[in-house]
Amino acid sequence: MDITIPQSNFDNAAPVATSDRIKTIDMIRGVALFGILLMNIPGFGIHWSIFNTIQRGPHNIADFHTLQVISVFFEGTMRGLFSMLFGAGMILFTMNKKEILGGVTIGELYYRRLLVLILFGIINAYVFLWFGDILYFYGFAGMVLYPFRKTATKWLFVLGIVCIGIGMLKGQLNHNETREKRAAYVEAVKQEKTGKTLTAEQQQKKTEWLQIENWKPDTESRDRDVREIRSGYGSVFAFFLPWNSGGETWYLYNGIWDSLCMMFIGMGLLVIGFFSNKLSTSSYLMGLVIGYGIGIPVGIIIFSGEINQSLHIGSYIDNYSVPHSILYDVKRVFLSLGHASLIILIFRSRIIPWLMRALANVGQMAFSNYLMQSIICTLFFYGYGLGYYNHLKYHQLYYVVVSVWVFQLIFSSIWLRYYRFGPFEWVWRSLTYWKKQPFRKKLITD
Amino acid sequence: MITNMPAGNDPCSADPSQPTLLHTRILSLDVLRGIAVLAALIVSIWVFGGFSIEQQKQLLLQSKGWSYRVFAAIELLLNGKMRALIALVFGVAMILFLTKNGQEGRARAGDIFIKRQLWLILFGLVNAVLFLWTQDILFHLGIMGILIFPFVRLSYRSLLIIAILTTFIFSAKNYWNYADDKKAYHKYLVVTDLEKKFEKDSADKTQKGIVTKKDTLTKLQKQDTGMWVGILASVKSNLKKDDANNKEMRSGNYGKMWNYLLPNIQWWESQWTYRTGVWDFASMIFLGMFLYKIGFFTNRFSRNRYLLIGLMGITIGLLSGWYRLHFQQIALQDYVKYINRYALPYTFLFPLERAVMALAYTSFVLAFLSAGILNGIWKTFAAVGKLALTNYFLQTIICTIFFYGYGMGYYGRLTQWQLYLFAAEVILVQIVFSIIWLRHFNYGPLEWLLRHISSGKWLKKTMPKPSTTEPAITVIS
Repeated sequence: MDITIPQSNFDNAAPVATSDRIKTIDMIRGVALFGILLMNIPGFGIHWSIFNTIQRGPHNIADFHTLQVISVFFEGTMRGLFSMLFGAGMILFTMNKKEILGGVTIGELYYRRLLVLILFGIINAYVFLWFGDILYFYGFAGMVLYPFRKTATKWLFVLGIVCIGIGMLKGQLNHNETREKRAAYVEAVKQEKTGKTLTAEQQQKKTEWLQIENWKPDTESRDRDVREIRSGYGSVFAFFLPWNSGGETWYLYNGIWDSLCMMFIGMGLLVIGFFSNKLSTSSYLMGLVIGYGIGIPVGIIIFSGEINQSLHIGSYIDNYSVPHSILYDVKRVFLSLGHASLIILIFRSRIIPWLMRALANVGQMAFSNYLMQSIICTLFFYGYGLGYYNHLKYHQLYYVVVSVWVFQLIFSSIWLRYYRFGPFEWVWRSLTYWKKQPFRKKLITD
Repeated sequence: MITNMPAGNDPCSADPSQPTLLHTRILSLDVLRGIAVLAALIVSIWVFGGFSIEQQKQLLLQSKGWSYRVFAAIELLLNGKMRALIALVFGVAMILFLTKNGQEGRARAGDIFIKRQLWLILFGLVNAVLFLWTQDILFHLGIMGILIFPFVRLSYRSLLIIAILTTFIFSAKNYWNYADDKKAYHKYLVVTDLEKKFEKDSADKTQKGIVTKKDTLTKLQKQDTGMWVGILASVKSNLKKDDANNKEMRSGNYGKMWNYLLPNIQWWESQWTYRTGVWDFASMIFLGMFLYKIGFFTNRFSRNRYLLIGLMGITIGLLSGWYRLHFQQIALQDYVKYINRYALPYTFLFPLERAVMALAYTSFVLAFLSAGILNGIWKTFAAVGKLALTNYFLQTIICTIFFYGYGMGYYGRLTQWQLYLFAAEVILVQIVFSIIWLRHFNYGPLEWLLRHISSGKWLKKTMPKPSTTEPAITVIS
């Protein structure tokens, strides 16, 4: 175990001093934060039925190519990196502090911190009205991690793989269910051809499948959705209420593995020194080659599977007893590894130090930047703001993304010149330690 | 003052994992736990045995006869109150477990506590997803313990405020569910008005000899009406719904039943938890923590005061419970009328009702314990309470084997009376089992397992034999 974690020695049970932060971790976090917007922007700005429309073709337009690139290279990986760093952050948080006799224990601080995070997640969902919030889920997933903070590296990776396995199992069970429906339909059709009449149950199963097969996003409900999201705050709130509560319920119960697997792996990677820039250049090169070498082809396979499925679901279900999407987490792990290696290699090569510094600033106040993305994008797209919802084409959304990136790069760098933490980080910390934290930087005058 | 843990020192030396030593156990907690676990069966037997919601609605509509009276009595005295009591005791136990002397002990207690809670979640999943108990609460207790862990240090004042606040949110959640129904009803009204207008228009036009296509409702408008029709159907009592359910529950195949029950279990563990469960449990856990901190469990008040609190609690609880049933009857008779007439749902005061009832039961037990009367009974309950987890699992195993299709398949075949008889048998068996077990061992099998996997020393230890010096039950204070 080669982990040297800076000890903050001037303060007990207090936030990490700026000078002690691990630069590469902040950098990767900054990149991941930007990447997350790549995935989130359609959720903010365009009706979800667009994916179906793009997948069905034509396949030679800008929208399709954009979707292709985003799906293959980024889907799931930025959330993956973010989760990995969250797991790593748990170890850093708990290892950096000494306890005061009779004072608050690290465990209590850690769980308080997560409760506040959950609260912010709820605010992000129900006040800022971003239905794709992840803070809420991270808060809960983080609660599972704590007892594993001293677990041996090997077992952390094993745990990560086990969680991936559970996720795969769930995916496969879902697929089996669809296959059963399809089989019942095929059976019913066969019977019909031989001239037998169907039982009521068979008839029902037949229509059930036909509903799946002929499902198309219908324009009436799409138009209503768009109208609602382009109206005032009250209507938008009411519109997203079932989305938010449904997501926070169902996804937490069924999808916690998605975060947990990456968090465990991230903890392991931190302990071996991967994130803290402790490995040799050749190791990172290897990470890059293996990560992209496996991740990209798998990403391409999954994407082609998705297209195939949305074009001909019947024959897809008949032909594949295992769905392509089962490889989703495999792709995520390898591509995330590749992305992280690439970032560290760029950092080491010192080609664009200014950008790396700026990204580290973004990452240092990732929490504020994440919430700010919600605020900016909802105000840009929703009706109580500028109301651009569903006005842009899918690929045009990415112009918005780039603008937000540029803004956040500049904003973070300026902010951190004057303040020790990002604004929401400061609130988060103050609530966690239940004490107003120092905010302004002491200006060094010469 | 700063303590640096010496490198070579075994942090286990201040060992809170030496799980709650006998002499620190508070008798009243075991008694309450025992009562709650046993009495809870009288309510859960409805679900295990197939005394369905539809049948319950029928009884409420009849509102006469002994079947109704017994059902109403159990509804008032036990339903929801036993879960509340378990949560209340859980809150007290949390503080006992986590408040250790010295920082090392405390930090370690926190570690073990979290592990314990994670295992408890797993136990709950086994109880629900494997043994197919659709209303398991271990899962919820596991989660709630972790969520409330950072609140343990709060002063009794803050705890009281949070307890009241969470109770209120629980009520508000009930209200919001009702408001959803109301909204659906009003949407339905709008659409039916529209439909009538269409009818009238086309009738007018045909009268005038104009041939046009009749306006029809859009798909979304039809959805709106369908929503309300669905709600109305779900509120109305309909015994026919039971037939299909009974058939499924008696199907003799575990795999089939698993498929059938899984959605129920997942609903209970996800949607119910998110909407109601969190507040249901949190309010009672906080109340328990508050009570412990003001010394409620260590005879802070005089015996008469406990009796008084108990009587007041019972009175308020029964009164609001009686109103609840009364208004539920009105809703069952005609939900449209109810929605038009009442601003609040009949469940609105339920959170208060079960909180004061649980408080009342606690007070009575404390009063009797300090009076030293009926000692035999309390010791019996305490024995069951010490094995609460084991007994809870045993109930699942016995009842599923007796009622479910892959066992003996008695689901839906017994009357309400027969179900209570069966529950009484199970309770008797559990009492006898607990007493005999505790003659030979200090802990129940599952309690032992949970403690040792949580403290990470499970392979080294054998089942502890009872020590001769310490009595199995000790009264403190």
